[in-house]
Amino acid sequence: MSIEEQYRTRAKELLSGGAVKMVIGYGKGSTSDRRRPLFISSTDEVDRLVLDDACIQNLSGYLVSEGLLSDEKRVAVFLRPEGIRAINILAAESQLDAEQIVIFGFDVIGTEVKALKGIHVEEFSDVINSIKKGAPEAKEEELFEKIEKMSPQERFSFWQEEFAKCIKCYACRQACPMCYCRRCIVDSNQPQWVNTSSHTLGNFEWNIVRAFHLSGRCVECGNCDRACPVNIPLRLINHRMAEEVLGAFDHFAGMSKTQEPVLASFKKDDSETFIL
Amino acid sequence: MPMSETFEPEIIAFVCTYCTYAGADLAGTSRLKYAPNVRIIRLPCTGRISPMFILKALQKGADGVLISGCHPGDCHFTHGNYHARRRWMVFRALLDFIGIPPERVKYSWISAAEGVKFAEFINSVTEDIRKLGPFEQYSQLIEQTQAPASL
Repeated sequence: MSIEEQYRTRAKELLSGGAVKMVIGYGKGSTSDRRRPLFISSTDEVDRLVLDDACIQNLSGYLVSEGLLSDEKRVAVFLRPEGIRAINILAAESQLDAEQIVIFGFDVIGTEVKALKGIHVEEFSDVINSIKKGAPEAKEEELFEKIEKMSPQERFSFWQEEFAKCIKCYACRQACPMCYCRRCIVDSNQPQWVNTSSHTLGNFEWNIVRAFHLSGRCVECGNCDRACPVNIPLRLINHRMAEEVLGAFDHFAGMSKTQEPVLASFKKDDSETFIL
Repeated sequence: MPMSETFEPEIIAFVCTYCTYAGADLAGTSRLKYAPNVRIIRLPCTGRISPMFILKALQKGADGVLISGCHPGDCHFTHGNYHARRRWMVFRALLDFIGIPPERVKYSWISAAEGVKFAEFINSVTEDIRKLGPFEQYSQLIEQTQAPASL
């Protein structure tokens, strides 16, 4: 039995028994190579679930939709390892109760879909540990290294060109499971920290703030990067920040649901070589 | 400004009220002379210094930003400066990756007893930023924001 069928059967069992009130998975998209999120609450819809190598979106962000979990019923969700890490972070930041989340874990290696065993986040710690040990690399290693080798001026010009394209649609924010703030700093106008018009200066600021708020929290699922309508390589900035917190504080985001957020904790012997 | 004149940088300092601001006071009452390029903004704690402040200072045309507070262990709120230290570490890396030279943002611990250190720090930072020159890349972006929209 394929994983897709296994998971359909499991979804049917869970829904018919009332163990979960909803299954969040993937359905067919507008073209044959695209998948879109599917929200299922009755057993007759289960056959619409699709699971293949085109299922790339991280669905964990839908779990923090207002009111979804407030009735304390369980919700099942299809997640890749990054998504599972995202659940850990959301639980660590008190955005949800991990007990309410039933996980349909899977990973895609090449074009092959592999099931990940487990129901609750705790059961996936081996998977997450092995990702940390594998020292994840930037998705576009070459471009990343090229930027690292540039002089500050060249880097500034590189990002200036990229950010000039930004239209401040905030799709990166909407797509991100970690951007759950009811009121984002860019929506604040007393004081107005970031200019709302999409000139390059304001775009610089928005993208710096976005990356900073995600440092130590980003699981590099790539939702923001795929959502960007002008293809700004946001993944590179996110990866740089993940690398920084791993190097400086040995922090790998989403290890467990009790992991302390890196910028809300400290050690007395943290490095301070840059402080005079 | 004629080229012969030396460049006078504008520097914004964000300091905590319990240590560095008191240190600045001590420098003043001790009649120590230091560079007049720094505008000091007093905050309750270094933990109150959001990275947004640094961005805003640069956005408003500062050539450099200076941040200072109590030494580790001396925080009035016991650990505000420890939190701040982590935040700066990450923020510095981010600025560097985006191409904003980290040399334009300086950090220091200055206690209420260190009036001399305060004066020296201001002088050395002013000198460093003067050597770097005006932050032209950023001022070009600022100018763009003031240009009328092209239709």
